Amino acid sequence: MSQLAITSLAKSYGALKVFDGLNLEADAGEIVVIFGGSGAGKTILLRLIAGVEEPTAGSIEIGGHDVADIAPEHRGVGMAFQNFALFPHMNASDNIATPLRAAGADESKVAVGVAKVAKLLKIDHVLNHSPRELSNGQKQRTALARALAASPKILLLDDPLRNVDAKLRFEMRLELPRLLRQSGATVLYVTQDYKEAMALADRIAVLANGQFVQTATPEDIYMRPATLGVARLFGDPSINTADTVIETEGGTHVMLGGTRVPLADGYRGFAGREVIFGVRPESVEIGSTGVEAEVIAVTPLNERTVLLLQNPNGWEFLASLPSTASNIPEAGAKVKASFAAAGTHIFDRQTGERLHG
Amino acid sequence: MAELGIAKVDKIYHSRKGDVHAVRALDLVVKPGEIVALLGSSGCGKTSTLRMIAGFEEVSNGSITLGGKPIHTLPPAARGVAMAFEAYSLYPPLTIGENMSFALKSSKLPQAEQDKRVKAMAGMLEIADILNKYPTSVSGGQQQRASLGRALVRDAGLYLLDEPMGQLEPQLRAVLRGRIKHYLREHKCTTILVTHDQTEANALADRIAVMEGGVLQQYATPAELKARPANLFTGTFIGEPPMNVFTADAKVSSDTVAFGVEGGATLTYPAADFSQSLREMLARTPRIALGIRPHALHLGDGPVKGKVMACQWLGDQTHVAVDVAGRTVVSVSQERVSRAPGSDVALTVAAGDLHLFETSSGKAIAHGGTLA
Amino acid sequence: MDHSSSLEKILRSVAITLVLIFFLFPIAWIFLMSLQTNETILRIPPSLAFTPIIDNYTALITGQLRTAAGSLQLNFMQNMFNSVLLSVCSVALSLVLGVPAAYAFARFKFRLGEDIAFTLLSFRFAPALLVLLPLSLYFKTLGLTNTYIGLIWVYQLICLPLILWIVRGYFEDISPDIEHAYRIAGNSWWKTFTRISIPLAKPGIAAAGLLAFIFAWNNFVFALILASADKQPVTVGALAFVTASGIQYGQIAAAIIISITPTLALALYAQRYLVEGLSMGAVKG
Repeated sequence: MSQLAITSLAKSYGALKVFDGLNLEADAGEIVVIFGGSGAGKTILLRLIAGVEEPTAGSIEIGGHDVADIAPEHRGVGMAFQNFALFPHMNASDNIATPLRAAGADESKVAVGVAKVAKLLKIDHVLNHSPRELSNGQKQRTALARALAASPKILLLDDPLRNVDAKLRFEMRLELPRLLRQSGATVLYVTQDYKEAMALADRIAVLANGQFVQTATPEDIYMRPATLGVARLFGDPSINTADTVIETEGGTHVMLGGTRVPLADGYRGFAGREVIFGVRPESVEIGSTGVEAEVIAVTPLNERTVLLLQNPNGWEFLASLPSTASNIPEAGAKVKASFAAAGTHIFDRQTGERLHG
Repeated sequence: MAELGIAKVDKIYHSRKGDVHAVRALDLVVKPGEIVALLGSSGCGKTSTLRMIAGFEEVSNGSITLGGKPIHTLPPAARGVAMAFEAYSLYPPLTIGENMSFALKSSKLPQAEQDKRVKAMAGMLEIADILNKYPTSVSGGQQQRASLGRALVRDAGLYLLDEPMGQLEPQLRAVLRGRIKHYLREHKCTTILVTHDQTEANALADRIAVMEGGVLQQYATPAELKARPANLFTGTFIGEPPMNVFTADAKVSSDTVAFGVEGGATLTYPAADFSQSLREMLARTPRIALGIRPHALHLGDGPVKGKVMACQWLGDQTHVAVDVAGRTVVSVSQERVSRAPGSDVALTVAAGDLHLFETSSGKAIAHGGTLA
Repeated sequence: MDHSSSLEKILRSVAITLVLIFFLFPIAWIFLMSLQTNETILRIPPSLAFTPIIDNYTALITGQLRTAAGSLQLNFMQNMFNSVLLSVCSVALSLVLGVPAAYAFARFKFRLGEDIAFTLLSFRFAPALLVLLPLSLYFKTLGLTNTYIGLIWVYQLICLPLILWIVRGYFEDISPDIEHAYRIAGNSWWKTFTRISIPLAKPGIAAAGLLAFIFAWNNFVFALILASADKQPVTVGALAFVTASGIQYGQIAAAIIISITPTLALALYAQRYLVEGLSMGAVKG
């Protein structure tokens, strides 16, 4: 039985519909990342689960019980907020102790509980500090500690790494999985950083246009995106696209920039379909065959090098190669590019859905 | 296209709480047509430097020259500098198109040429469809692109770009970086780019000036910054994820050099991997800071043993965090790697990928077996 | 940047001194008056040389005023007591009613919410005389004329809008997430209100309470019309010094000094607290 079940959940503010018909189940101990752009309604979804806002329609079950009539304080939920939401008039220790005290634990138990979670999050040395004396990273850890302190069954994390700098974000991203597993809670984690989503999630639920467009493992999301929209949201640089038509004369293929690019035979059934050809930059291979292109610019990206390529017909696309690769061309060079099947996807031009070849 | 020279420039802000030395004795030469990034975290002095070049701040000491002529005493408008502002600073009563052509009005270009330029620039920055809209009715990313376009469309001796891509839509960023770099190259624009984002600096710049505490830490090409950081600050600042740093004790014998790393592991290499002079130096001062980039730390057989904390695949690379004697060590692989959390793992690093720094000053001692 | 030269600094101090003299002179002058007899006050030309006396103060405190025309009974201490009672009770009642109302206006969107809030504020726009006439008629009918309860009620016109609007702003500045966090941690809404919202809005509540107190204390016209001698506050009571035999400047001055002392003390005490509260930046967390 799932720990958290959301059925046909809808929320509107007057005429403004945030989302409609959301369905999601999460097992005990599972980490589900809610991924979407700003304004997608991710935070509102967490608020509905926490009970501080009411849904317009649909139901939320926690541990098999409908929680519609249960007040937030009785739902057994822990939550960490994007802006930390620490109580400014209490020190870090009292902040973390809040859920323990509210549960009626005696002070000796509270002290033990606070010490334990503070040690886990490496903030035991700043427990006496008030929130304004804490660095951003410490604030964020205190907020997490407070959410974890009472060992909630459901843990709601609202983009907790958004307001800390890149280095801390990276450190926390590596630390979080162990921390969350130890808590044993079912975690709903909201983010708009695809790397964070892929790194932390057991499953990712992509929220866009008021719907879960795809709910799947990181591998499925990246390798088998349901729609072009999902494919665009994951990957840096973003997936290359080109409008084309599937042709079957002399083997299934599409024409890209005047060059014939063969497709797997599975796409034969879509002959004549207007499609969008998508290929991830890291699946673009520079070699002796394929689509002709001129290297417009070479831009290093971490340990990779991104090439901006332009086909004589005007099609512009990116290739991302490991910086250690031996065949990185210079700007102005004429090259040929082919596309590895693993990162190549065909989407219907009308619906944006991925065609299964 | 002109050479920019910054010589012994200081910027001191006087305030009641005491003087703030925002920029210290800065020497920097930007060659004609070169793209240089001023890179650093907030408060490092990069923005003060930019404002002094643009003429919004006076220099406290030193001189700034453009094409050989001193410009630091001229008013901003007389300096022949085009600037894109971080806060966009578009003129609200003008449309995006009018904003972009505004700076061309005073030039003696024929109207048709002006229109052609604005159109081409708008196409390059993907704002051709919003030229008739007003700044307040378009998104932040579009405003930023318009502000960038307004600066680039001009003919100027120097282009100053202040965090020009921070608000760009992620899906557009990589393509626009490529196009802008291409444009700056084609037009041989001498450009200074101020940014806190090393990805942007690496992607666009020919050379990067890393600043911290008002002091220029290193001025080098992106590749050199990565391969031969001048000190521990640049070493750990440049590179994502950041360099792993350990305190280590070198032990030099006749045929090996060994590094005893905090936590117990020992990295042993043939003496031939290290130059004679470096070995002599290590024999004299064995205590060093050892830097290893995550990309150089490979999973497999090796002397460093630990337990996998997290193994995170990001689509085009895998980040593996390993707990080595209570410390988190990061290894990055370009491949997809799966290791269960908690499993044992060994790490290895080639001698050529070691960066050695002085423990006290942080100054680089050696990179890849030869003295820095 | 601070480019100020020493000349600028001197000019600035001179300007500040002038402003200070301008504002403090009346208070200093009145204080000096309160230590003199009517004769020394009124002599021509005026002089700063006089023998200070405390007779004016003793007269106020004992309630016996001896003038050239004879002895006069004074109610000043009763007036003082009335002022304290009316102001304290009015502010207290306003806080009890206004703080929860301010919270409701800040947190919940409800039908006519903005209109109700604005209507309450508009009480401050209308001149008091506009409502006084009908009020005095109602009060007669209800038997509220010349009662403390009646006056405290009328004083709500002064205090409630102030408290409502100032405190509302403070509540709006508290991120709802902070309250949500406390509730999710396992606390009821009432506990959240008393342990989180109220403490965080405390600087605002204190500021509003103080302002309301000063306005209530300084009110004149409500009490003049709706209360007779034994319920009147000091503002109205001071009229008693305008006697048939002349105006008792010394006593008026002493009365003013005594009557501004509580508000001045409160303001000075609260100033420290307000500055601390405003600079805390706590609410933004």
